[in-house]
Amino acid sequence: MNVATNNELKSTIALTGLYHVMDPEIGLNIVDLGLVYEIRFNEPFKEITVVMTLTTQFCPMGESIVDATKQAMQQSFPDYSTEVELVFEPAWSPDKISEEGNKYLNG
Amino acid sequence: MFAPGPNSPIKNTDYRVVLPFYAYAALSFLLATIIISTDVGAFTQSHFNAKALAVTHTMALGWGTMMILGASHQLFPVLIEGKLYSNFLAHSSFILGALSIPLLIYGFYTFNFGVLAQTGAVGINLAVIAYLLNLSLSIKDSKSRNVHAVSAFTAVIWLLFTTLIGLLLLFNFQHPFLPEASVHYLSLHAHMGIIGWFLLMVVGVGARLIPMFLISKYENKKTLWWVYGLINAGLTLYIYVFFTDNHAILSLAPIALIAIALALFASFIYKAYQKRIRKSVDEQVKTSLLSVGMLSIPLVVILAFVILMANWGHRQFLTLYGFSIFFGWISAIIIGMTFKTLPFIVWNKVYHKIAGLGKTPNPKDLFKSNLFMGNIIAYVLGFMIFCAGILLTDTVLLNIGATLLLINAVLYNANVFFILFHQAKLK
Repeated sequence: MNVATNNELKSTIALTGLYHVMDPEIGLNIVDLGLVYEIRFNEPFKEITVVMTLTTQFCPMGESIVDATKQAMQQSFPDYSTEVELVFEPAWSPDKISEEGNKYLNG
Repeated sequence: MFAPGPNSPIKNTDYRVVLPFYAYAALSFLLATIIISTDVGAFTQSHFNAKALAVTHTMALGWGTMMILGASHQLFPVLIEGKLYSNFLAHSSFILGALSIPLLIYGFYTFNFGVLAQTGAVGINLAVIAYLLNLSLSIKDSKSRNVHAVSAFTAVIWLLFTTLIGLLLLFNFQHPFLPEASVHYLSLHAHMGIIGWFLLMVVGVGARLIPMFLISKYENKKTLWWVYGLINAGLTLYIYVFFTDNHAILSLAPIALIAIALALFASFIYKAYQKRIRKSVDEQVKTSLLSVGMLSIPLVVILAFVILMANWGHRQFLTLYGFSIFFGWISAIIIGMTFKTLPFIVWNKVYHKIAGLGKTPNPKDLFKSNLFMGNIIAYVLGFMIFCAGILLTDTVLLNIGATLLLINAVLYNANVFFILFHQAKLK
């Protein structure tokens, strides 16, 4: 996986939380699925922005995934507020699935 | 680096719009199997009889059309990458369809094409118009014009032609005004519905959904445009041949065009399957893949009918042709896709606000897999035995097949309502 960030340490904690957010249809977490592009921390305002995508626009599970992402960040960083920024460029493709994700799907 | 997405790209169609269609379709499937179980004799006579007409329209409208209308209200936003224009129009479409279909079916069942049946037919047309209007306005507001969305939209236009002709035929029974009797136009009405509505819609949406569920890297829009063009050309040519000289060679041409389209579609699905990342394919997708294979049955039957019609009875071929379309191909894809889509819609309804608060069941845990397997076994056996019964005009086989199909519909309904009434369970 390749997730951009401006705070490596906090990003590791954030990713640990995001590993628990699953795409319910595929059964794989959103990090290994390659949906998370960037995690930005705005320290003065105690804000986190998760830049992510969905496997398809208007994905029927999109609302659940975004809500679960916010809740996971809230649990990892109770003092921060979380914003999820959905982007569709670059669009998601199966090439974005991590090696671990591919192993899971091949299993 | 990252371009922002459209406004509210995750706001989905309200589940209250979609779920009633699923419930209605499931009950219609049950009703159709009850009708055939009570009198299999209808399948040993001419296909133009009260019960066969009632079963056909229960399957085509109550089961196939209502299910596709429901699922497409959820999936059309994915195809066009835009929001559904109106929940009100979607509700209107359901209410009009749900109230009108029983009137029409009752009319057929009693072989009375009077006011009740005519009111039903008018209501069905209004339901289709509401649906078409909703899709048109949704497309107008979206930026994406892909082959899947265009196929689905064209299919709905064919559906409107089909129901309008159905309405005209119904009035023509009571007060003849067309050049020929209504029976003459039945094959035109049927093929607009089967090829224009069902085939085009299933091919357009299936070519998007099946690779998506397989997580396939395969894409080939060009092939899908060819499939789209060939199906529309085949149907248009069929209509031309119908109204002009019914020359034997020319009447084979539409079949050939549709056959090429189906071969291209099957090859597209096969390549998508080969290039899938998700190696383990669940039973629901397998059932949908089976339906792609089942498309070949009506094709073989109609070819055999054209080639052998001089030597063998028309009745068995025509009955088998219709049966293999509605109880074979259409039912297989609906049964498979029900348990691929409905659990997610209900899961979203029940869990989306509480997904991060604890461990939730997976959507696939919302239905009983043992019921699903029983459903599939009863369905496949029932379908094959009933087909044999039609071909051999054997009422024992027809009764066994009908009983198995009834069991399949009971198990299907049990599972559907088990999902619909699911309550939140956090672990």
